[in-house]
Amino acid sequence: MKAWLLKFRALNPLLLACMLGLIVIGVLYIYSACSVREDPELRLLYMRHAEVGAAGLVAYLVFAWLNYRVVLRWSLPFYFVCLVLLALVPFIGEKTMGARRWLFGMQPSELAKLSIIMLLAWLLGRRGANRGAPAFLTALLAAGVPGALILMQPDLGTAMVLVPTVTSMLFAANVAPRLFWSFVLTGTAVAALLLGIVYATERVKMPAPTREALIRATGLRQHQLSRLQVFLFPDKDLHRTGYNRRQSEIAVGSGGTWGKGYLKGEQYLLGYLPPSVSSNDFIFAVLAEEAGFAGSMTVLLLFLGLLWPGLWVAIRCQDDMGRLFCVGVVALIFSHMFINIAMTIGMMPITGLPLPFISYGRTFMLTVMVALGLVQSVSVHGREKETRF
Amino acid sequence: MVLLALVFGAGLAFLAVSLYRVQVVRYAAFARDQMRQSIRRVQVPGPRGRIYDRNGVCLAENRPSYCIAYYVEELRRRGPWSRTIDAVNADIDRLAVAIGVPRQLSYTAVSNHIVRSLPIPLLAWRDVDETTLARWAEASGDFPGVDVYVQPERHYPFGALAAQTLGYVRRDRPAASLGERYHFHLPEMLGANGIEREYNDLLTGCIGEQLIRVDARGYKHAVWEGQPAVAGRDLRLTLDVRVQQALEQALRGWRGAGVVVDPRNGEILALASAPAYDLNAMVPAPTTGVWDRLNADEGRPLINRAVQGRYAPGSTFKPVTAMAALLRKDFDPDATYACDGAFVLGTMRLRCWNTYGHGNVTLRKAIEQSCNSYFCHLGQEIGYDAIYAEAWKLGLGRPLGIDLPSESRGLLPTGEWKERMLRDKWRPGDTCQIAIGQGLLVVTPLQMAMLVSVFANGGTLRRPHLKLGDGPPETIREMGWPQAELARVREGMRDVAVFGTGRRVQVRGLDVAAKTGTAEYDAGGVRRKNTWVTAFAPFDRPTAAVAIVVENGESGGQTVAPMVRDVLVSLFGESPPDAAATAADSAEVRGD
Repeated sequence: MKAWLLKFRALNPLLLACMLGLIVIGVLYIYSACSVREDPELRLLYMRHAEVGAAGLVAYLVFAWLNYRVVLRWSLPFYFVCLVLLALVPFIGEKTMGARRWLFGMQPSELAKLSIIMLLAWLLGRRGANRGAPAFLTALLAAGVPGALILMQPDLGTAMVLVPTVTSMLFAANVAPRLFWSFVLTGTAVAALLLGIVYATERVKMPAPTREALIRATGLRQHQLSRLQVFLFPDKDLHRTGYNRRQSEIAVGSGGTWGKGYLKGEQYLLGYLPPSVSSNDFIFAVLAEEAGFAGSMTVLLLFLGLLWPGLWVAIRCQDDMGRLFCVGVVALIFSHMFINIAMTIGMMPITGLPLPFISYGRTFMLTVMVALGLVQSVSVHGREKETRF
Repeated sequence: MVLLALVFGAGLAFLAVSLYRVQVVRYAAFARDQMRQSIRRVQVPGPRGRIYDRNGVCLAENRPSYCIAYYVEELRRRGPWSRTIDAVNADIDRLAVAIGVPRQLSYTAVSNHIVRSLPIPLLAWRDVDETTLARWAEASGDFPGVDVYVQPERHYPFGALAAQTLGYVRRDRPAASLGERYHFHLPEMLGANGIEREYNDLLTGCIGEQLIRVDARGYKHAVWEGQPAVAGRDLRLTLDVRVQQALEQALRGWRGAGVVVDPRNGEILALASAPAYDLNAMVPAPTTGVWDRLNADEGRPLINRAVQGRYAPGSTFKPVTAMAALLRKDFDPDATYACDGAFVLGTMRLRCWNTYGHGNVTLRKAIEQSCNSYFCHLGQEIGYDAIYAEAWKLGLGRPLGIDLPSESRGLLPTGEWKERMLRDKWRPGDTCQIAIGQGLLVVTPLQMAMLVSVFANGGTLRRPHLKLGDGPPETIREMGWPQAELARVREGMRDVAVFGTGRRVQVRGLDVAAKTGTAEYDAGGVRRKNTWVTAFAPFDRPTAAVAIVVENGESGGQTVAPMVRDVLVSLFGESPPDAAATAADSAEVRGD
């Protein structure tokens, strides 16, 4: 066997198998969800997904073959490219459904997630890196600037998913523990306060100006506010804002233990689950309706098969940079999966977050596959002692 | 690192538990919610039962009516509803040209259907003829989403026969009866009046249901047959089409009504009101032209005069006065009274119809000749209470309970009634008037038919009915009349038919008893006459009793008696002249 191929023998097989399994499931259920669409382009969406999967697989193997230490040295330039792209979005981005997220046919915010993980891993994991308060503040700034740009698009979901990702990395790096914990506690308190205000404006009697002032103080936009309200008061408005939540919950619930059978999901066939979301943000509802609790559990197990080896690779890695990077990627995938599934069954506010590998979304899919490719690279190269270049 | 693993593990476990709760524990509730939002129940009527006469001749049935229906889901357009509505409207306009029939549905009606009843077919043309159907078949290739839809329509094979008695049906409206259970209903026939209304529940049958699965916009996605509809029961009536036809033929051209009843059991053999109307013009709904004409008609064809008409009975009431007198121990029916052409009561002078007077008359002769003077005298002798008692027992002044809607009760006045309503006390003249069937007394033809059948069957008032039953006949009241006294009245009535005012009822080979009547009334300054004949036959064992009234006739004997004769012929036939009985011949010879 040729020497360069030998590297692949060190790939983590479970990580690869579970990812491929999820992609296959994604193709199957995007086919299902799009089978009701009239536009032939949209009916073939599953093909696009499969193509991205194939392209992603190539990228995955390439990045697995490359040494992550070399790749991560490009973190800073990559990060700045992402920043520029994000900054360009408000000016020349394409607008869809009230938000500018697209640029040159891709979503820079998805790239930014990877770039933030890479940058933090590089910043905090380099040999001799500062782990004190300055590093902590630098990390916050590094994540905060693109986060703020994403929030302005507006894309609350993507910005939100950065919080657990960055928190996990800072925690794993053990940067300035006291500062870290005070931030976590403050953040939790602020989030609780926000929800509390939304709750109070709805349930507590107060004069209208006071209510408006309170709402304005939260800085939330109308659709974000109404999503929070739907989350807190699910029965408030079943026909407008609460509609998707209600319908996806019915889809999941009516799937039962074994589901209704492939291509037999009534909620999207009859259009109760809007076709515009059934192939991406709410793909899990389609799956859970057709494959039932058994199908949901299969998906959860496959994600477990991604997360567990991801952490295993991190533990076995010899250097902090690789370890932190793996933690970031695992946290990112976990956050996406958790928020998406919890939102589908009404346990989280509705945000437009894709379910990794299953939801249709090309930029995100490629990004995550590249990230996992780098995790494999950590698996391949991480046990070697760090060599000086 | 371990803490992170625990957090992620806990997150996965949380999701697993949540999914278990939603998908396994609360499965039934979500499945029900889904059914509720995507299933529409459609109420489907069962086929309406048919109506037959006593011999099994069909009087009301259902015929297939061909409609051209739009299945809107085939023409659905994306985007706002107005696009689909416009598309359907444009298609209807296009099809109207192709089949050469102007559109029947307004643009608003199409819009309303799409908004409210989307999953059920839109009937663009109802009840089209064969030519239109053929044209549609040729053009149908160009019109996807259009199909023929067959729905049952009520049909009355005899058209106007027994129109007011049978009644007609209309399409019911989606009323409150729809309830919460059903989202849509297919039109159902509802009896509007007559027998169709009286026995609507029996004819309707049981509602079935159809389940339609609709998509999020409300378009039909699939249809499941739910509980099938049960057809309504057929109804067999006591009517006899031949007798009914004879009766209506006799009444043709007049305003009036007639009732033929079997005195043995109260079965109505014929019940007619003239003028009548074509029942088939009333379904599924009368056109405005038809409706306006019916309502403007001075003959008021929509009224069933046989049970709703209010008439003074005139001399046909006299047998009641006679019977009231005969029930008194001190009354001598053979005693004579001298009629000099008028009866004088105080300052009032009541003229007998025979201005020369009838001379000395007994009760029997007075019935035969219908002598007013005699009966006025009799009324004064026995008093109003005696007459009232018998009339009340005979069912006057109250409904008889026939199985038809809106039966009139007539009027059998009392002293209190007159004081209350007319602010005047009861006078001997009132008694006199009522003794000869005039004045305040009001009856319906049905009441007179039942009254004469009591004289026919020996003193039993039966419940008149139109539904042929298999049980024993229902008795309202036994009169308890002594047969000897009753026989005197019956003999008098036979004399009427043989020698007297009702000779024209005679049928060769049939022994008939009858009583004529001519009640004058004031119609806006003009003297008009309601002319009556009541009769029963055969005399010994009567199987038919007849009462006919004609408005504005000449006299009972001249105008109505031949009608009664026609009816009796339809019932019993007539012997050929050579084999005819002597009694009938002599009646012919004596002439009128």
